[in-house]
Amino acid sequence: MDAKKAAVVAAVTDTVYRACLYLDEGNWEEFLNLCDKSMLYSIKAYSPEIRKHMIYLSHNKKELGSLTEMLPKLNSDHSPLRRHASIYTVDVSDDKKTATAVTSLAVYMNMHDGINSHIDSGETRLFLVGRYFDKFKISGDNASIIEREVRLDTRRLDKGTHLLI
Amino acid sequence: MPAKNHKQWKVPAFEQGDYVDSRIYSDQAIFDEEMEKIFKQVWIPVCHESEVPEAYDFRTTSIAKEPIIVVRGPDNEVRAFLNVCPHRGMRLERRTAGNFIEGQPSGNPKHMTCMFHAWQFDMKGNCVDIPRAKEGYQERLTKEDVGLRRLRCEVRFGGFIWVTLNDKVEQKLETWADGAFECIRSAIDTEPLEVFHYHKAIIDSNYKLWHDTNSEFYHDYMHYHNRVTGFNDEYFARTNKGFKNGHVNVNSFTVQYGEFELGESREDLSFPGFPPNQWYMIDLFPGMNFNLRGSALRCDIVTPLGPNQVMIEFRGLGLKSDSEKDRQTRIEHHNSIWGPFGRNLHEDLLGITGQGASMQTGSEPRRILHGRHENNLIHDEVGMRHFYTEWSKWMGRNPSDPMNEQNESLKGMAAE
Ligand code: FES
Ligand SMILES: [Fe+2]
Repeated sequence: MDAKKAAVVAAVTDTVYRACLYLDEGNWEEFLNLCDKSMLYSIKAYSPEIRKHMIYLSHNKKELGSLTEMLPKLNSDHSPLRRHASIYTVDVSDDKKTATAVTSLAVYMNMHDGINSHIDSGETRLFLVGRYFDKFKISGDNASIIEREVRLDTRRLDKGTHLLI
Repeated sequence: MPAKNHKQWKVPAFEQGDYVDSRIYSDQAIFDEEMEKIFKQVWIPVCHESEVPEAYDFRTTSIAKEPIIVVRGPDNEVRAFLNVCPHRGMRLERRTAGNFIEGQPSGNPKHMTCMFHAWQFDMKGNCVDIPRAKEGYQERLTKEDVGLRRLRCEVRFGGFIWVTLNDKVEQKLETWADGAFECIRSAIDTEPLEVFHYHKAIIDSNYKLWHDTNSEFYHDYMHYHNRVTGFNDEYFARTNKGFKNGHVNVNSFTVQYGEFELGESREDLSFPGFPPNQWYMIDLFPGMNFNLRGSALRCDIVTPLGPNQVMIEFRGLGLKSDSEKDRQTRIEHHNSIWGPFGRNLHEDLLGITGQGASMQTGSEPRRILHGRHENNLIHDEVGMRHFYTEWSKWMGRNPSDPMNEQNESLKGMAAE
């Protein structure tokens, strides 16, 4: 791998994992700072039940901003979500200006107030599994997300969540 | 009076009917009775016709723990059967959905095949092959003697597929619904609809608590979105209307989407003959909900799993003829509120989760109040009362006194 390509891979890797940390912490602002202003975000899944590709959520960066700012006004399950992510592939374009990455994802819920806190607070449950399909814009040693598609395997989502995946 | 002890809590300040006993949400015997006396007797929507669009398409579901398969025949007819093999009771088809054009490992194309011993059936439920029948059964049993258990099935009200386990069901579906769908009839029956969204939730709560939530709007206080887009004169003028057989609908008003930061007015996209930004809600006994809000139709189907557990299947529908752009808009509108990551559904499900956590089997019997009377207006709890009047007829139990013990305890209190 040439040095320039290796630098892009390193930048992409850094952005993906940093994004995970910010999302885990609910630090939406810093997560959005990793995203280009043209960024598009979606959560998709294929349903073998209705035999269709589905979109569970889709927003641009501005909408994600309003959505996350609104969170304190909503009644939510406050059980934090924690990601375990592994970047499987990073592909860099020939001109090194863009890149794509596929990341395997498991999201755990650390139970807090969502069901019966006296009994289940402190317990960890698997919330969903899926993958991130990300596209990046590369400038210098910085990779910013221009598109994130969260492709879920899980379709039984029970209470669901207000948090970004 | 401030805090109360258990007995004081139970002293009736309300008429019966203005409250129910919490045990109707938690008692195993009542639950078992509901499956027998209600769920096995009435019409239940199981899926939508767009889920079986082609000949030989199938979809599997269940009602009251009985497995069901819906298939579209080569004659384009949709039929429903118990998804149970008449040989040794194997679940006939294990997939959730698919098509029988391709043969399965044990069988031939265009047949339903039981994988176990390869009995095969056609789309009308006739048994068409029993391997080595003559050798084993001689003349005692032939394929003509066995077949699938056929269930009554109707496709109606926006193309939903309705099934009943009751061979002797007294009313056709149209009569059973008693006009509850008339308010959205032209919107959903002018042209074919198509499902674009499906997800499921299993919640540790009673199925009626979900239906109650769908039947009362007082909980709009829980939804920031509804408070800011909804609480105007027109909203407070909305009324609940009861129909025979325990069904209810809530008429429409104009949602002020502009009041919400994320805007998303649904003015440009609606359903045939349906004014923009309107919102009708139909609650069908014993627990199904149809919710037409501007650009998307949502349908909730409950499958009760136990006194304190319910599966809810959520569907979103648009018009089959939608352009790609219109479909995208409908999907976005649906999901921003009603998807698993949407604003309202999560709150609604948290509501019944909290109720389920406090009404577990064996917990102290409590009164659950349904006693708001406001001339049938939006925050009147008449929808729930209407439901429980019907529930009481089917169950032969008084929801306010399901164990028939109140007269006894009143006598006891008078003596103290
Ligand atoms: S159980 Fe179905 S063929 Fe034997
Ligand atoms: Fe609600």
